[in-house]
Amino acid sequence: MPAARRPRRLTIVLAQWCPHCVPLSVKHGRRLARELRVPLRILDIDRGRQEAAADRIVRDHGDASPDYLIPQVFLEWTDGDVQHLLTGFSEQVPRTDRAWRDLFASDWFRSARRELRA
Amino acid sequence: MSRAGALPPFLRAALRSPGGKCYRHCDRPVREFHLSSGLPGVWTVRACPGGVVSVTSYAEWTRRDPTRDVRRALERCTFPKRLVRAWDLRLATREGPELGRTAERRLAKTRPHRGLRVVYWRVYPFKARDGTERRLLVCRRRAHANPVFFAADPAARRWGCPVCARRAR
Repeated sequence: MPAARRPRRLTIVLAQWCPHCVPLSVKHGRRLARELRVPLRILDIDRGRQEAAADRIVRDHGDASPDYLIPQVFLEWTDGDVQHLLTGFSEQVPRTDRAWRDLFASDWFRSARRELRA
Repeated sequence: MSRAGALPPFLRAALRSPGGKCYRHCDRPVREFHLSSGLPGVWTVRACPGGVVSVTSYAEWTRRDPTRDVRRALERCTFPKRLVRAWDLRLATREGPELGRTAERRLAKTRPHRGLRVVYWRVYPFKARDGTERRLLVCRRRAHANPVFFAADPAARRWGCPVCARRAR
C-alpha cells in the first residue's frame, strides 16, 4: 500500500518592498509552515537565482502574468504535487491579511493537518 | 439560470474589500463602483473622490484566463487605449480556502470544479515627456455609457476628460 502523501515544503514568492509580503505574508507563512511541519522557502523576485525559481513555480503552478502578482504561496507535497494556495489581493493589504486568516480557518487547512496525523 | 462565468451573491460577498485609502495620492477613502461590459463577470473600480484610480478588477467564475477579454473591454473605455498595457494586467486565482468558509464549501460542491479568476489593472504613476507626473483618472459623468479612463496630472489646475472635457474639481 503506498504511503499517504504529506506536505513537503511551503514556498512564498515575494519582494521585500511589497507590503502584502513583508512582514505580513512572512509572518503568516512561518505559522503555516510550522503548523504543517514543513520548511518555509522564500523566493525573492529581486534576487537573481531566487527570481528564476520564482518565475518557474509561478509559471508552472501559479498565477502567471508578464508582471505577476506577489505574494504567491505554494505547498509542495511528497507525491510531487504543487498546490497554489494564495495570491495577494491587490485591493489593499488588509484584504490579503483576511485571506490568510480565512486560509487558517478553512476546511482545507483542517484536512491538511488531519493528513499529517494519519 | 445565470450566465456562465457570472458571480453568484456568495462569491460577490467573498470578494468584497471595503475600506482602503487612495493609493499613493491623496490618502482619502476610496470608493468602489462597477462598470458594465459584455463580459459575464463583475468589474470593480476603486478610485478616490478626485477620480484617481487605485485599481480596477474584473472577477469571473471560470477556469479560463479572461485577461485578453479584459484588455479589450478596458481599451474600449480608455483614452488613448495604449494606456492599457499587458504589463499592467495581473491575474489572480481564488481557490476557495482563502475566501472564507461559506465560499469554500459552496465552491467545493461545484462540479466540475471552477476557481475564481480575477484580473487586476493597476497603472502606476508615470512621467510624461515634459517630466510631469501622470496618473490614471476616471470620469463618471452620467453622459458616458461607461466610465472613461484617461491619464492626467492630478496636481494640475486644469485637466479634462477627453470625451466630455469635464474639468477637475
